[in-house]
Amino acid sequence: MSPRPLGPREIEQLTLDTEPWLSCDDCFALVDEYVEALLAGDLTAAPAMRAHLRGCPACAEEAATLVVLTAEDTGQDPHPALTLLER
Amino acid sequence: MTALGPVPAAATVPTERADWVSTLSLPGPERDRALRDLHELLVHAARGQVHRMGWTTGGGADVDELANQAADEALVALLGKLHTFEGRSRFTTWAYKFGVLHAANAVRSAAWRGREIQLDGLELLPDTAPHPGHYAEARDLVEVVRRLLGTVLTPHQRRVVVALVVDEVPIDVLAERLGTNRNALYKTLHDARVRIRTALVAEGLLEASTGGAR
Repeated sequence: MSPRPLGPREIEQLTLDTEPWLSCDDCFALVDEYVEALLAGDLTAAPAMRAHLRGCPACAEEAATLVVLTAEDTGQDPHPALTLLER
Repeated sequence: MTALGPVPAAATVPTERADWVSTLSLPGPERDRALRDLHELLVHAARGQVHRMGWTTGGGADVDELANQAADEALVALLGKLHTFEGRSRFTTWAYKFGVLHAANAVRSAAWRGREIQLDGLELLPDTAPHPGHYAEARDLVEVVRRLLGTVLTPHQRRVVVALVVDEVPIDVLAERLGTNRNALYKTLHDARVRIRTALVAEGLLEASTGGAR
């Protein structure tokens, strides 16, 4: 097995501040409300959700799809919410 | 995997039903119709996730097959949690997340099927490729973090962190291989980050309570 490179992307991910703690299960329980809050332009929503979605690519990937699906149902442009999701 | 933009439009996704929970809770032909509608809705969500992950075909599963299997699993999971729906979001948003989760897991699993995940021989080299903002402090930080991976983390934390962050193994794929779950692995990653950050703060290389070091 050859050595793996360790670069800026990995360093950023390894040193992320993911407090306040939130589990993936808790993220799943809350993500529908969170997505609707983002689509409503609510910037004050759940710091623990924001921290979790920064630190968990799988949950973030799924939340992004949920934004697109929900925006489609409500006739909204998903891009502002997707931008908020990535902050 | 990379998000690829909007999901394909469904012909008719039955999102407009005011009484999903009560209809699904009472046996009878109305419940059967609601179940069919709900399954259709979950297939739509699953197809959306499969599309956004860029999955076309592979591992013997095409998009429709994969989306339908994910929707089947999602429907079972959703019905088991139906009593927990409290109306804090639209029912369809709440339902979609089950289809999305099961489809995402299925795509990641299919994409990694047969691929080896190396959990030994964790030698890490600083990335020497030039990139914007490449300067001495960044190189020093990379070297320090590489050292900390070997000194402040437990062997289990190190294996999990390298697999998830360096090798980019999807968390549910790694969970399946290790016989654990996404929650437990994310906790391991979280605790490892806390240890690395604490050590960096102690060495004066990171301010407490900031985002990630760059």
